[in-house]
Amino acid sequence: MEKTRKSNKRLQTAKELSRVVADYYQECGEAKAEGRPVGWMPPMNGAIEIFYAMGLQPVFPENWSPVCAAFGLTPDNFEVSEGMGYSRDLCGYLRNIIGYVNGPIDDPSFPLGSLPAPDIILSPGGGCIPVMKIFHALERRFPEARVLTSDMPQVAVEDIQEHHIEYAVEQVNQLVAFLTKVTGRKLDMDRLSAVVQLSDQACALWDEIMTYRRFIPAPFSAAEMGIMFVMVTRQGTRIAVDFLEKVLAEIKERAANGIGVIENEKIRLFWDNIPLWYNMGVFNYFEKMNGVVVAETYSAAWSLRLDTSSPIRALALKSLMSYPLVSCVSIKKRREMVLKACRDYHIDGVVLHRNKSCVPITLGQMDIKRELEETLGVPSVIIDADHMDERNFSTAQFQTRIDAFMETLLAKKQARR
Amino acid sequence: MAVSVTSPFIQVLNTHAETLTNLVEEGRKAMGYFCHYTPVELIHASGLIPVRISGGPGDVEMAYNLAPDFICPYMKRGLEKALAGNYRFLSGLVQGYTCDIACGMANVWADNIEGDLFHILPLPYEDTEKSRRYLHVEYSNLIGKLSDLGGNFSDTSLSRSLELYARIRTHILDFYQRRFEGKLPLSSSELWQVIQAGFVSVPETYLDMLEDLQVELDKLSIPDPSGVPVLISGSLIETPDILDFLESSGGQIVADDLCSGMRSASTSSGSSSDPMERLADLHFNRFPCPSRSRAEDRLPLIQQLIEQSGARGVVFMFQKFCTPHLSDYPFLSDQLKASGIPSVMIELDESWQANAQMGTRLEGLFEIIEG
Repeated sequence: MEKTRKSNKRLQTAKELSRVVADYYQECGEAKAEGRPVGWMPPMNGAIEIFYAMGLQPVFPENWSPVCAAFGLTPDNFEVSEGMGYSRDLCGYLRNIIGYVNGPIDDPSFPLGSLPAPDIILSPGGGCIPVMKIFHALERRFPEARVLTSDMPQVAVEDIQEHHIEYAVEQVNQLVAFLTKVTGRKLDMDRLSAVVQLSDQACALWDEIMTYRRFIPAPFSAAEMGIMFVMVTRQGTRIAVDFLEKVLAEIKERAANGIGVIENEKIRLFWDNIPLWYNMGVFNYFEKMNGVVVAETYSAAWSLRLDTSSPIRALALKSLMSYPLVSCVSIKKRREMVLKACRDYHIDGVVLHRNKSCVPITLGQMDIKRELEETLGVPSVIIDADHMDERNFSTAQFQTRIDAFMETLLAKKQARR
Repeated sequence: MAVSVTSPFIQVLNTHAETLTNLVEEGRKAMGYFCHYTPVELIHASGLIPVRISGGPGDVEMAYNLAPDFICPYMKRGLEKALAGNYRFLSGLVQGYTCDIACGMANVWADNIEGDLFHILPLPYEDTEKSRRYLHVEYSNLIGKLSDLGGNFSDTSLSRSLELYARIRTHILDFYQRRFEGKLPLSSSELWQVIQAGFVSVPETYLDMLEDLQVELDKLSIPDPSGVPVLISGSLIETPDILDFLESSGGQIVADDLCSGMRSASTSSGSSSDPMERLADLHFNRFPCPSRSRAEDRLPLIQQLIEQSGARGVVFMFQKFCTPHLSDYPFLSDQLKASGIPSVMIELDESWQANAQMGTRLEGLFEIIEG
């Protein structure tokens, strides 16, 4: 087993992903060349729809990190940031991005044309600490960029009250006012409505796509999870909707014809925490023992249905909910989601990725593990790894633990027959 | 060094669990917290005793059943102690939102430790009219939850609590001012004992102890300074032994921006007639923690401390895996170096043990400073 490996993809549409990704980054570069303002922002918030509605170009440094990992470029970026004094114990996204912007960002040979420098930085006062600190570092690196600090309180999803939403709406309005002042562009509310409708449509498609993973055999696995790229970068655009409609059509056909990821699917798995972006091939590893990862935590973060009759409020709520839903801000909600997924997707076992680079998602896993056993009788295994830094991933440990886990699951399944 | 004057504070640190347990058995209630962004004045005004959770040096075993090992020692050891039953006297935990781990651990505690209330206060970051209005609603929510526990809040009780804690802060800051002037007859470890005792005491009792201490300090002679003057920057220091080690290695701690030190008292309220507004002032005026601020915000404050104290170097003393401090460190150390202030960074795990490697690094810094 290799330390870094791309995944084997079965979906035709997933194979087209490289074009989708390339088109997006080309558009980012073209925006800069055309003088269209480029804004760097964290993911998981309602600013993306605002940007598209105002004809601005959103760029997501956090999303760029998996791209760097896929191209095997993170070690070079780590060398830069760690050389600057950033500890190896810090989040891999943080070390990668800070290394990238202080290292190869201006290298013309960098894959996908590299990222265009920001004209605008949306700096979060909310979300996780590493994301906050990434943007502080970006403010230092790009002093010419205009900065807006957003103030989105971190509230557990189940505790959100009207005053939280009102405050979040205020933040969205502040964002719009800031962008208008800085770019001279006004937000057309009809245009925003259309964008929010497209965003909601993409979420509806995404949710429908995910329901097909309940089929036995599952028509696609976490190995194809790159398709969520459009949910991260293109929400609010026709591009996302068109791509997801194609994905849905392909998956429907596979499900209708009983075409699974593998011929003899015996074990259905759930993956908790962020994938290993440098080794999406781990999702294929289970297949040699007839296992398929049919559901995961991470994909749930990108789909939140929006009330299109009230676009600003809908985006405010999206900004409030997205991060807490998958992190330790809402361990209770997170636990409910995992258990529901295990029921809905007929899960035999759960792989808990104890992720050195992401404590907010790792904290609470032991409570989830316990609940899985006590409530559902679903066994789980812990894998110690890192979503960005392959130095924290041991293939030997992974293989040993997974092999034993799969044997246990297969034996348990056999005994039930 | 004046040992006897801090004996009452050492006594508090050694016996506070028993004291608080007795008070709870007599009908009082105690509420735990992790960070200073928790509005202790509001908790106190509701009739409860705010108690800061401590970790301290030790092993971690049970906590690893609930949390990964790559989180800070404070949180690991705090949870270990809670699982061992050391915090049975608490009615729960209130946490003003700071870092991811503190938030997550408040939720882990809620799931695994007995208590009636586990509440995270989602605090705003920016000081605006709208954020203050939002904060007032959050305070009201918390008052309601404390009231459900039998709390008895009023604006009058809040005014009294604000006044009480202000007087405590005045004494703490006076000790630091004396130290800046080279007139504090307490070692760094003794000052640490004085401040930590306040986190686990009934505040009225603690104020009396501080007032007594002031009288005693005036009677003591000031020792001659020795060692290279340095500022310590970091979060919590959970044992005074580390401070003694630093000073026995050739340093003299003349300032700190530790949350178990000066930052615990570094805030102020304005003169509004509305006590809730004065409470909000305390939140926004706090010497910022890196979990809620930019390094650029903290740098001038640290530089001011360096100037006030005459520190000639900085020892960054971090808990292992502390993301907020580790993230700001490169910028701060570079900027300090550019202004002629050398620094060294030391990380500590849950043993809080000094070792030869640490000693070598400290001695190296002191040699650089002395030229």
